[in-house]
Order: sequence, then C-alpha cells, then structure tokens
Amino acid sequence: MSNHIQVGVIGSAQVSPANLNQASLEEILNTLTHAALKNAGMTIDDIDGIVVAACDQLDGRAISIMAASGSVGGVGRDILSTPSGSEHAFILGALRVKSGMYKTQLVLSWSPLEVDSISEIQKLSNDPYYHRALPQDDLSTYALQAGVLESEVSGVRESVIKFTQQSREKGRVAYPNISATPVQEVQIRDSKMLRWPITEGMVCEPRFGAVAMVLSNQDWIKDKQIKNPAWIHGMGWATETTYLGDRNLSDMGSLKAAAHQAYHESGISDPKSAFDVVEVSDPTGYQALLSLDGLGLCDSKDWRDAVHSDRFSSKGSLPVNLSGGATSFNPVFCTGLLRLAEAANQVRGCAGAHQKSGVRKSLGHGSSGFAMQYNSVVVFANLPKENQL
Amino acid sequence: MELLTRTEKWDITYRHALGEVASWFYTQIRDHKKIYGKKDFKSNRVLVPPRAFSDETLEPTKDWVEVGPEGVIECFTIVYQAFKNLPDPPYAFGYVMLKGADTAIGGYFKGIDLTDGAKAAKQLAIGTPVITRFAEKRVGDALDFWFEVKE
Amino acid sequence: MKIPKVGIIGIGQSHFKAKRQDANYPELVREAVKLAMEDAKIDFDEIEAIVYSLAPDALLGIGNAERLGVDAVSAKNKRFMRINTGGSTGISSLAAAHSHIAAGACDVVLVAGADKVGECGDSQTILNKIWDPTYERALPLGTINMLAMSAVRYMHKYGMTEEDMAQIVVKNRAHSALNPHAHLRELTSVDEVMKSRMISWPIKLFDACPQSSGGCSVILASEKYIKDRGLDAVWITGVGHSTESYYLGDRMGKHFTADHADAHALSEACYKSYKMAGVVDPLKEIDVAELYSPFSNTEFHAIEAAGLAKLGQSPKMLSEGYFKIGGPNPVNPSGGVLCTNAIAVTAMVRVAEVALQVWGRAGAHQVKGAKKGIASGNGGDHQFFGAMVVES
Repeated sequence: MSNHIQVGVIGSAQVSPANLNQASLEEILNTLTHAALKNAGMTIDDIDGIVVAACDQLDGRAISIMAASGSVGGVGRDILSTPSGSEHAFILGALRVKSGMYKTQLVLSWSPLEVDSISEIQKLSNDPYYHRALPQDDLSTYALQAGVLESEVSGVRESVIKFTQQSREKGRVAYPNISATPVQEVQIRDSKMLRWPITEGMVCEPRFGAVAMVLSNQDWIKDKQIKNPAWIHGMGWATETTYLGDRNLSDMGSLKAAAHQAYHESGISDPKSAFDVVEVSDPTGYQALLSLDGLGLCDSKDWRDAVHSDRFSSKGSLPVNLSGGATSFNPVFCTGLLRLAEAANQVRGCAGAHQKSGVRKSLGHGSSGFAMQYNSVVVFANLPKENQL
Repeated sequence: MELLTRTEKWDITYRHALGEVASWFYTQIRDHKKIYGKKDFKSNRVLVPPRAFSDETLEPTKDWVEVGPEGVIECFTIVYQAFKNLPDPPYAFGYVMLKGADTAIGGYFKGIDLTDGAKAAKQLAIGTPVITRFAEKRVGDALDFWFEVKE
Repeated sequence: MKIPKVGIIGIGQSHFKAKRQDANYPELVREAVKLAMEDAKIDFDEIEAIVYSLAPDALLGIGNAERLGVDAVSAKNKRFMRINTGGSTGISSLAAAHSHIAAGACDVVLVAGADKVGECGDSQTILNKIWDPTYERALPLGTINMLAMSAVRYMHKYGMTEEDMAQIVVKNRAHSALNPHAHLRELTSVDEVMKSRMISWPIKLFDACPQSSGGCSVILASEKYIKDRGLDAVWITGVGHSTESYYLGDRMGKHFTADHADAHALSEACYKSYKMAGVVDPLKEIDVAELYSPFSNTEFHAIEAAGLAKLGQSPKMLSEGYFKIGGPNPVNPSGGVLCTNAIAVTAMVRVAEVALQVWGRAGAHQVKGAKKGIASGNGGDHQFFGAMVVES
C-alpha cells in the first residue's frame, strides 16, 4: 500500500507579537514565512506547495486563504486550505509530499485576536437546527467533557490542578515572556469558576499566534545534507461524530483510531515506552489527561500517581508538554499545529529552552472542534524508518 | 406536512490592525491629500496601494513614491443591482493606475451620468484620464478619495 | 517518479434547485453521498477517509459547518478533513483526496459537500467580505462586479462584445436543457440575454450564474483496489493548482504577470495537469471540457487558459461552431457553472461531469466518443485555480 517516499520536518517558526497594532495579519504571516524558510535553509522558490489553515470567522475574512495567500508565497504556487483544523494542514502537507507530486511543502496556521468575541464566533459552529440558542462555545464543551470525567474518575480534579501547575512551570521555562499564570496550585484551584468544573486558573487567555513548518522528502534532505530532520514515522487522524449528545465524551473513539493508525504505521506496539517526549492537546488539564489515556500513554487510573510522582516532567519517564502546552500559551486556532511543531522541534534538537536532550522519538497530538472533535496524531523520529534501531 | 424555518443573523465586529505601511498611507491621505505607493525592486513595480512586501517576490518593499493625483482607468464596472449592505445603485467603480504607479488602486468613479450603461461605459473606457478628488472631511480610509473623469 | 493513477468509482449529485426547503444542510450532503455510494456499489466500511468540500461558512450561516457534515458522510472515527479554496473548493478537495491515495495512505476516499446558496439571503453581501479589510473592504466589491471588470478588460484587449457573451449563455442553456441535474435549464436567445436586467456592466442577469442548492459526492480509489475488485472506473491522470495575486489592481497597470482580462494562473494549473497526464496538444487530445465559469465572459478566458484557443480567439471560434456539443472541443456540456452554482461543490461537479462524459454515462448531454477531458475550478477573487485531467 505505501510507497518508499519518506517525509521529514526540516524547518519551523512561530510568532506571537506583543504589540498587535504594529503589523497587519498579512505582514505577520510574511515575517513568519521568511523565518520558517530561513530555519529550513531555503528560499520560497524551493517550495512547491503550501497548505494553510485558518478560521474565516476568527480572521474576519470570508475566505481566509485569500489575502493571506500572497504573504506566504502563494502567488504562482499550489496552495490549499484546511479550515477544519490547523493540524490538518500538516497532515495534508505530509500526504502531498508522500504522494511524490511535491518535494517540499510549507504548512502554516494562524489565530488572530481581531474579533470582538471569540466565544460568539465559536457558538456559530452550533447547528442552527437544534443547538444554536445554547451558550455553547469551545470552553463550554471542554467543561461538559470535564464534567463527565469528574463523575467517572475519582480525584480527577486534584490531578488536573497539579497537571496545570506543572504545565505552567514548564511554560515559564519554555516561553518566559508570554507564558500564562497562575502557577500556584491554590490559585488554580480557587480562581473564579468559569464553566463548572473549569476555573479561570485552569485555562489560558487567548493570544495571537502563528506557526509554520517546512516538510520535504528524503531526496531533498539528502541533497541538501540536512542533519536533523524530524522524520514522520506515522500519522493518524480521525473525527468524532457531530452532536455532543451522541458522543461518549470521556472515551474518544477518534483519538484511539488516530493513535492506532499512527502507531501501526510507525511499528509501535507499546506506546508507554516508545516516546522520549510527547506534546498533547490541552485546552485544559482535563483534556490533556484524557488525551494521554486515549493515546495509551497513561491510563486514567494512573493519572494521580503520574502527576504526583512528576512522571510528566522533563526528568520523568514520560515528559509531557515541555512547551507548557495551550495551558501556558493559547493561540486558539493553531494550537494543534503548534503541538506538532513542538514535538518535531524536540526531535530536531531545536526546541529552545525546553529542549530535552537526546530525543529520538516524539509524539505530537493536535485537536480541534467542540470537546476535541478532531484528533490527529503524528510520530516523529530522528532517523528514517529503515534505519531505526 | 408543515415545514418550519429558523432565522439567524451574524453580528460580528472586528478591529483589524492595519500595520505601519497602510497606517502611514492613510494618514498621508487624511492629513495631506497625498497618495503614496511603495516600490518592490525585484519586480520593478511601484505597488499602489502600498504593501510591506511584494506578494510576487516576497521581498520587502523599499521606497515610498508619491503617485497621482492624475491617473488612467484600467477597468471599471457600473452596478445597477441593489445588494444588501452595499450602496444603492447605480454606482460606478473600478481601478485606476495613478501617475507613477505600476499597479492600479480601487475607487469609485463619480460625476458621470450612469442612466445609459453603454454610454457611461464609453465615458469610462480603459485608458480614460481621471483625477483624484478628496473628501473635505477625511478620516484615513479608502473612501476619503474617489476619481472623476478629467475634462 | 511516476504518480499512481487514481480512479473515480462513484459519483452522486443532486438535482440542483434554488432552494431546498425539504432538506437541511447535512441532509443535502447525505443525499449526494448516498447516490455516490450506490453508484460505486460499495459499503461505508470500505471508505477509509473523507475529504469534505465546503467554501465560505458564512454562505451556510454555520461556522465550521463541516462538523455537521461528519455524520452525513459517515466519518465517525475515520480520517476527515475539510478544504476551502473559495469557488475552487470542489476540485481542491478532489486534489487533496487524490494525494491521500497517491501517498499510499488510503485506498478509498469519499469526497462530498453541499451548499444552500439560495438560503443565505444575499451571497454578494457575504462575498464582499472576502476582500481584505485594509484597503478594499470599503469598496462595493463582489464576485459579479469583480468579473464584470474582467469583461471590460477582455473587451478592450480583444474586442469581445456583449453579444459574444450572450452566445455563451445560449450555448450553455442548450446544454443544460439536456442535463437533469442542472438548475437553470430553459433555452434562451441572444435577444433575451441582451434584454435581461443589467447587474454590473456589462454582466446582465442572464450572463450570471444562479444561486443553487444541492450536494455532490465523488468516490476515489487506488488502482490496486479497483483491479482487485474488478470495479468499473475512470481515471484522474493529471492534477494541477496555481494562484494569482490576490490584488486585482496588480493584474493591470505596468509590468504585470497576469492580466485581469485573462486567466493566467488557470493556464498554469491546466498545463501542470496536462504535463502530468502526458497531454501535449489539448486542442487535439481533449475531447470534452468542463471549465469553471460563473459568468458568460469568463468562459472565454477559461477556454483559452485550457489551451483550446489562442488568447482572444475563443469568441470568434464560438461563432464558428466550436465549443458546443456536436462541434469541435465541446465546453461545459452540462451547462456549466453558468447554469448551476452551489458554490461549495461546483468545482467538484466539473470533475464529476467530465468523469461521466469519459465514462459514457452523461446521458442526453453526452459528447460522443469522449475519452479524455479537462475540468477546472476557480476560487477567491479569480485567484485560486485547480485543474484535473480525467480519462477512461
């Protein structure tokens, strides 16, 4: 079924400008593109295809790819858009290189803060037939999901609070200038209740962010003698069913399906011992723990133990979200692609202050939609598949 | 069989950052009634309206170049149909290459009798010289100026 | 390296109408999916991935409406992503699905979507919002007047007349009269077109596409899957996409790469797909074309971009009998976008119609002996272009 083409991540960049009035969205994307290309050691002429992901309603442009296209090198080039999720841009970009039709791909996603109410536009995703009148934005759905966990896993709240605290500490190391607070457990626990059971301290305020990655095939990597690609060993992606009421919010079949696809493709039979670091989706700590369970990395019965024994720290046996996750830096729409970028960067050895030494294999998990409707899983490794020991 | 419907309206406000280039462009219009473009050296084009970079070359643009107020019509249309939240017809608008520019900028064409479409089209034919007019009260917006056919 | 052939094994499309009060949006998607699945004669279990075709959310009034479509395409726990490149979404979705199979990730991919443009109140109001808020949002730009300006430049450059434009409408309505899926199916005359209400000079009511509602679905499969099961199929042998500058004003003036009169990036997309398919002389080798053209005037530059006429020559060739069913190089035998435009899927319908043609299944609007065809899609402000070669 598969062919012999292998795909590697060879560049990445991210921006989160402090002054939002300094530059227009298109200017920021252009800066980001230059940074990613430089990181990959390329010019735009080396890119033969682009996939972007953005949300029209967040951008305030009815076709978000339009004005942005030129900024990222789209003119005279093949550019597509996957508004379903930022992580889907990566998936499609990788498939395009693997198809043999493209030797390189530039993949980008952005999440501006120009709309007056992110909550209001998220509510527009509710079907107009039954659910539009409800106060259901993304946070409400994370809360509903968290509520289910509260009823099923005793003591989950304490685990979530501790996990959040640990994420914030990691965020302070990784991105000291922008990482969110509070960092103290007591403040996370006692802060204002937003949507039961989620407190203000558990979530991170939205922030402008944009992230880009450059992918290429093995011929390119060999020709240009790129020393540190993050090879894609396996990819999986899947969706939950539509209506929340039809779903089992604490047992995500789509996450398990995506993980299964990725593990199968990468020949992983024991995920718990396979990865040196993982970056998982964490709109709140509830979703992070749920993701770790669905990915087969940490069963729910082990959550309490894991957080209390520092298993997820950089020195632990399963470092999780050394970037601090969306718990620390939340560029709403592009958090999914950011998780993948962080995981790839760890393998490439260019993660920055939060780099763990000697990372050979990592997992990136991104999700989008109400209560993580879409889940995507990518396994990265420092060697191409045949040579893996 | 009774078929029901629900009505929904989207009401969303955005505050879009214009960035330094567009901000300067608009302040020059607002304060000095002057229009500027920016030159991309790789493609050798003065881009109007100005941008920080050329989307053809991805290179940053460099020099500011004052353009206009004269120009020529590059294309036009005359709208006769009413569309919700768009102006009452008839109105003419299109793109003008201002003197000194290499690309065309959009704007309304005013001062032409639009009753007879074919006749008005001849008056707005491509290549027709126009002059830029500025509103008395300007706010730093694309509607601070428009074009009129040169007598 | 040789790109694997990807086959089309099933097609479904609605009978497009202005409004569909009898079905909500996911139901329209399901309608098309059901038709495609019945056509392919496979079970839902065989589908490994779905690529969802959906243009601006605002036209449907539902943010990220593909989430609602998940059940309609039976995507639960399956691979799923949505594509949006404006009007070219349908062909871009097929290109994305093609990559799934060519990459060896899947053997069977379902592509589906629907639109209810007729229900959104005013599509031009929404389409005004595609322009950037920095410079052009203040102008009353819409897709109709944007392409009216293209007509003005094409007239100036090549001498096209309003009557030439009307001839396209006459041709396409004669075609759609034979196509039960088309929306506008009444025959018309140059006189009737010329007398129709002026919308945006020179585009009149009859020169413009309708606002259609309906769905479309296409199922793609790998060559191995098709051969192993002895399925009937036609083949996508060429795929190409390219893009213009977003700035309309950059497609005029001095030193421009692309003139707004023409469709430069469309020709890049077509030639990329011709190259992949090994097509060297389109005029000789292409038996049928479904070229995305929402207004009569744009069909001319689309024909030229597809290499079926030299620049500026297609109006004359049309009057000599080219481009109609029964004549050389038929274009838009389905009636084209001019007769049916459910934006989210229109570009997919172009590929579906070419597929039906080379499959010999186009019914009353069949081009005799068609074996190889080209389909195209346009999106954005005449900015994104996709092309595909489909052959039997």
